[in-house]
Amino acid sequence: MSEVTYVQPFDENFTTAFCPELVLVAGLFALIIIPNLGKATFRIPGTQIRLPYFLGGERYSAFSNPRLPSWIAAITLIIAFVEVLMTFDGGLQRYMIVSELLPTTINEVNSGDVLVNGGSHILPGSSKELLLINGFSRLFEMIFFGALSLAAIASMNRLQSFDASDRSTNALYNNRRQADFYILLLTTGMGMAIVALAQDMFVLFLGLELASFSSYVLVAFHKESKEGTEGGMKYFIVGSVASGIGLYGLSMLYLWAGSLQLGELSVAFDAAMSPQGSPALPLIALGFVLVGFGFKVSAAPFHFAAPDAYAGASSPVAGILATASKAMGIVGLTRMLLIVASPESSDGSAIWLVALGILSVVTMTWGNIAALGSDNPKRMLAYSSVAHAGYMLAGLTAIGAWNWDPRLAGHGGDAAIMVMTAILFHLVVLVCFKLGAFLVLSVLESEGEVSQMSNMRGLAKREPLLAVSMFIFMISLAGVPPMSGFMSKLLVIMGIVKVAIGDMGDAISNGDLLSIGDAHWVWWLALIMVLNSAISMFYYLRVVVTMYFHEPEGTRQGPLPNGWQVRTAIFACVVASVFFGINADALIELCEMAANSLNYSWASQ
Amino acid sequence: MSGSSSSQIVDSSMAEYAPLIILLPILAMPVILFLGKIFNTNPTWKNTLKEGGIIALAAMGASLFISLVIIKDYIGSFSNNGDIFSLTWLNTAVWEGGSSISSISFGFGIYIDHITVMLLFVAAFLCFLINIFAIGYMNTDPINDNRNHRFYAEFVLFCAGMLGMVLSDSFLWLFIFWEIMGLCSYLLIGFYYERPSAASAAKKAFMTTRIGDVFLMIGLVMMWDLFGSLDYNVVFDSANIAAVDSGSLQWALGMMFIGAVGKSAQFPLHVWLPDAMEGPTPVSALIHAATMVNAGLYLVARMFPFFGAESMSGELVDLAFIIASIGGITVVMAAGIAFVQDDLKKVLAYSTMSQLAYIFTGLGVALWLANTLDWHHDADAHTIVVVAFGAALFHLFNHAMAKGMLFMASGSVIHEVHHAHHHLHHDDHGHDDDFDAQSMENMGGLASKMPLTATAMLVGSASIMGLPLIGGFWSKEGIIANAWRVALEDPRFFFPAACVLVGAGMTGFYMSRMWLKTFAGKPSNEVAAHVGPTNTWIKTPLFILTFVTLSSILLAGMGFAHWAPDSEYSLLSDHGLIDGIMYELGHAFANHDTFFFILTYVAIALGAILGPFVAMSLFGGKLEDGEECKPWFRPVIKLNNWVYDKYHWDNSGIATSGLAVALQNRLYIDKYYDLAMVKIVAGFSNKVAEADTKIIDGTVKQIEDKSQKISTTVRSLTTGSARDYILWVAIGTLLIFFFIWGVA
Repeated sequence: MSEVTYVQPFDENFTTAFCPELVLVAGLFALIIIPNLGKATFRIPGTQIRLPYFLGGERYSAFSNPRLPSWIAAITLIIAFVEVLMTFDGGLQRYMIVSELLPTTINEVNSGDVLVNGGSHILPGSSKELLLINGFSRLFEMIFFGALSLAAIASMNRLQSFDASDRSTNALYNNRRQADFYILLLTTGMGMAIVALAQDMFVLFLGLELASFSSYVLVAFHKESKEGTEGGMKYFIVGSVASGIGLYGLSMLYLWAGSLQLGELSVAFDAAMSPQGSPALPLIALGFVLVGFGFKVSAAPFHFAAPDAYAGASSPVAGILATASKAMGIVGLTRMLLIVASPESSDGSAIWLVALGILSVVTMTWGNIAALGSDNPKRMLAYSSVAHAGYMLAGLTAIGAWNWDPRLAGHGGDAAIMVMTAILFHLVVLVCFKLGAFLVLSVLESEGEVSQMSNMRGLAKREPLLAVSMFIFMISLAGVPPMSGFMSKLLVIMGIVKVAIGDMGDAISNGDLLSIGDAHWVWWLALIMVLNSAISMFYYLRVVVTMYFHEPEGTRQGPLPNGWQVRTAIFACVVASVFFGINADALIELCEMAANSLNYSWASQ
Repeated sequence: MSGSSSSQIVDSSMAEYAPLIILLPILAMPVILFLGKIFNTNPTWKNTLKEGGIIALAAMGASLFISLVIIKDYIGSFSNNGDIFSLTWLNTAVWEGGSSISSISFGFGIYIDHITVMLLFVAAFLCFLINIFAIGYMNTDPINDNRNHRFYAEFVLFCAGMLGMVLSDSFLWLFIFWEIMGLCSYLLIGFYYERPSAASAAKKAFMTTRIGDVFLMIGLVMMWDLFGSLDYNVVFDSANIAAVDSGSLQWALGMMFIGAVGKSAQFPLHVWLPDAMEGPTPVSALIHAATMVNAGLYLVARMFPFFGAESMSGELVDLAFIIASIGGITVVMAAGIAFVQDDLKKVLAYSTMSQLAYIFTGLGVALWLANTLDWHHDADAHTIVVVAFGAALFHLFNHAMAKGMLFMASGSVIHEVHHAHHHLHHDDHGHDDDFDAQSMENMGGLASKMPLTATAMLVGSASIMGLPLIGGFWSKEGIIANAWRVALEDPRFFFPAACVLVGAGMTGFYMSRMWLKTFAGKPSNEVAAHVGPTNTWIKTPLFILTFVTLSSILLAGMGFAHWAPDSEYSLLSDHGLIDGIMYELGHAFANHDTFFFILTYVAIALGAILGPFVAMSLFGGKLEDGEECKPWFRPVIKLNNWVYDKYHWDNSGIATSGLAVALQNRLYIDKYYDLAMVKIVAGFSNKVAEADTKIIDGTVKQIEDKSQKISTTVRSLTTGSARDYILWVAIGTLLIFFFIWGVA
């Protein structure tokens, strides 16, 4: 592991460290300014002199293209995505943004928490760690920016899809209203990036709220239907309650530990969990925080607003909620569960193990069973994303048990890394096939609401390529080889099993584990996951049956309106879904690197 | 190029191109198929490229060329330096695609030894000739309108399957190519899929051979279990064989032999072969001479190292007996059925079956000898084994050449009869349905009208009958002699030995009958009187094969009759061609051993005199007045006239006897198979289908129904009211506390 470079805000390394985020900020400014450029003038009072100030007034025709904001947003996000990708190139340089650095000439490296950058800076005792750039946070930024850029590209075609003669939707052509949408998209990205980077729970919460509020509005932005506003409202209300509970938990943590720094919280938590400690307050706080993030990943029973929101939102926005937003929740949960309440308590497994295990089982089962009967494709996908959240929670649970038995010493660490790798891999490929599925629905929405399964009838005849894409997304969601969805599920299950029984061959040949009864109970999570996957097959394949074996509905005939942007995005998703299933090595390596950078203690085990 | 250390690499740059022999036809397939789809009615495609026939011919020609060079190199190096082959009898591993170092590797390799060389020549040479024939046959048949590209595509794949099977270096690849052939046979037999009989024949062929294939697969799995590999280099290694339990090995080989029985149409899996005549005639020629049926023989011949291994000495005799007996049964059964067939191609089909059975008997006998005699150390025993095995393989060669020729000749006859009929009844469509262009009842006296075809057919028939000095004589004598040699040692073998001896006479009868009914006598109807000569594409292969069959003595003199998989024995090395011919002649006609001396003449008397004599007395007769035939037929026609006039007798009593009827009904074997299918298999299938709908589907439906109900209940919790959602958040929070506290 290379050294972490400590950076103070706005000092020399700041721009290097924050290149992608700064691109996002620049894009935000561009989005605000460019569509508003016009012939605005200011008359100096008492004179006839009019000074042009360019913002407002009659807009320049060059900047009034309603597609302009989408291009700006899309290009910004793509550049940010590429910037993030490039930081991986040739070994990731890691940066820690701290509140304060003292210039010093002492050329020595202190042990412990204090690191030195080229011998020129040293941390004072009161300095706070704010943001950390490492493999883990960069990987999540990659997910966020990737998903958002795909959504931005896909959203371009929502404009032309509606009949221009309709006055109510004509307003959509206004580029300033478009700008609003994409500004919110960029602020969502901003907030998510902050969540990924945060090293302080308060900073994390700020980012979370920035992203959340933007997404509430994005959901409600779907004004073509009543459900949009309604869903946005409900999402906002329930989300606010969940955030409130989470914030309450954070305030308790602060009250208890006097700091929300991840490192300090972790130390305090370990102390509290020791036999001499008093765990009451931190445990209550942990429960509250779990609720807050549980809503973000839409874990049952905090998921209720999600189907309403997904069904109400426009499809690309729903896709973001199901992928990027969920990944953001996972970041929060990981920070809270694996760093703060890290699973190194006295008996070797985490204090939250049972709670999270039950949460995961309930979530995946609930999601799948509810999806079984859903006739609304978007709600079905929403429930399926609940189920996927359950799978990831099952993985996190397994990490909570990673050093459950001294007999497995030497294997447990690998297993924890493996599960984390699997979860990260799952989040990455989820962007491909979950978002892709929503984008297909987005194309379908161009001829009206898609609120019933029957709206997809005969898609194979009308749009063979779209139907094939949807087919690939569905079997990938269901986890059919050789799709990437299979790979991710396989990795999670393998990881869980490895946690439960260690390295099978070793453990058995040592005579340590003779039967599955000797294994840790998280083994059951893997089994339940497999059963759930079997159930999920039904509703995923029902989509395929509808597309391929049913005749198109009466008014829905012939090919759909053309929109090369969204189709390009879908194509990218298809390629990625298949590619990462067949050739996952590079991505798994990346995820493993990210997982390793999350917590050193596993790797050293 | 990483051959295993125990195998000998042929020092030839040409051998590296061996994969091309397989690849070229495989690549030609999609080319023909797609070009055919695109340019279906294009005149250049139809006339110049013969709807893909020329492309196929180019591929097959290239394959043949490479094969010939490799064979030449092989034989050349063999004769120049006998020491090269002193290592083991597995001589060559030329090319390895995968890593052959590890014992479990599935890389593809080329394996060339004596057996490969023989089969490679037969397959490549005949595929090429049949391809030429097919261009003349298929492209002039109006029924094939615009779909010959499909024929040629399947044809080249079929050939590639055979060539690949022969060249591959492991039983696994053998099986893969074996299955490719199975698929192609299905496609080609069912080429006229609009005819129900063709469709069902294709199905029958496929299903019957599948039964054998399943056993072959079981055998291969057992072999894998024994050796941990299916590579020839591993399984033929004498040290590895020594480590294996002989009983288990016998079971494995026995299972594999059932596969061969299916593929080579031996009793009791022979039923598909006559029906396979539904395919176009080039396909019949391909299946019967060049490819499919030889595959089973090749598989059995490949088993030689197991039988020949010293460690297995005397352990595998039972299997050898079974192989010989299956052959013996089939020899007599098929020949008997051939007595009464009226369909020209069906006679040939049963003759194929019978002749293949000869080869099986020959192989069984040779394997018995290899398994019991101490041939590794005893020079006399060595010669016996070599000669016995060589006779079987040489009969394969002779039969393939003769049968390929016979099928092509019969195809030419059918083709022309059909044309004549078409010509005569041009406006009269009603006749078309009744007229059977393949029935010998509609022929007769064609000798004067199709001289080359009649010659080819005569030479081919003579070769199959074992007429002295021609083709099959050299090998058939060897098979019969060795069968009796073994019978003297092991009394069980009297049964196959008697069968092959009787079979020789039967062959003489039915082959003569076929020729006489077709070519001699008077035209049986108006159509046969108007048959004309055939086209060049058809004539060329007939001419070449006639020559090859007639020159069989040369090949025998070169040592082809001693074509053993043995490194000690060399071709051409110890005696020159004339010496070789003299040796063969002496061996055949003036054997030192009295028993074999008598046996030879008994066999000749049965096959070359008695059988034809009976046939001549019953069939044929004078040609139509004024019809002149070629000078070389005259003795035959005259002899026939004389016998017919003098000894003709009324055989209607025999022809209507119970046995004849049974033979006409193929001994009812097909019927009972069908019955078993309908009663047992179909009944079982119905029961299973019922169980499937009721139990499995029912359960699934129930699960679906119930889970939908649960789903509805669960979804009804999503009321749509934010109040309720918040209530759930509260409940969830409490539950989390409960569990965290419960643990803490």
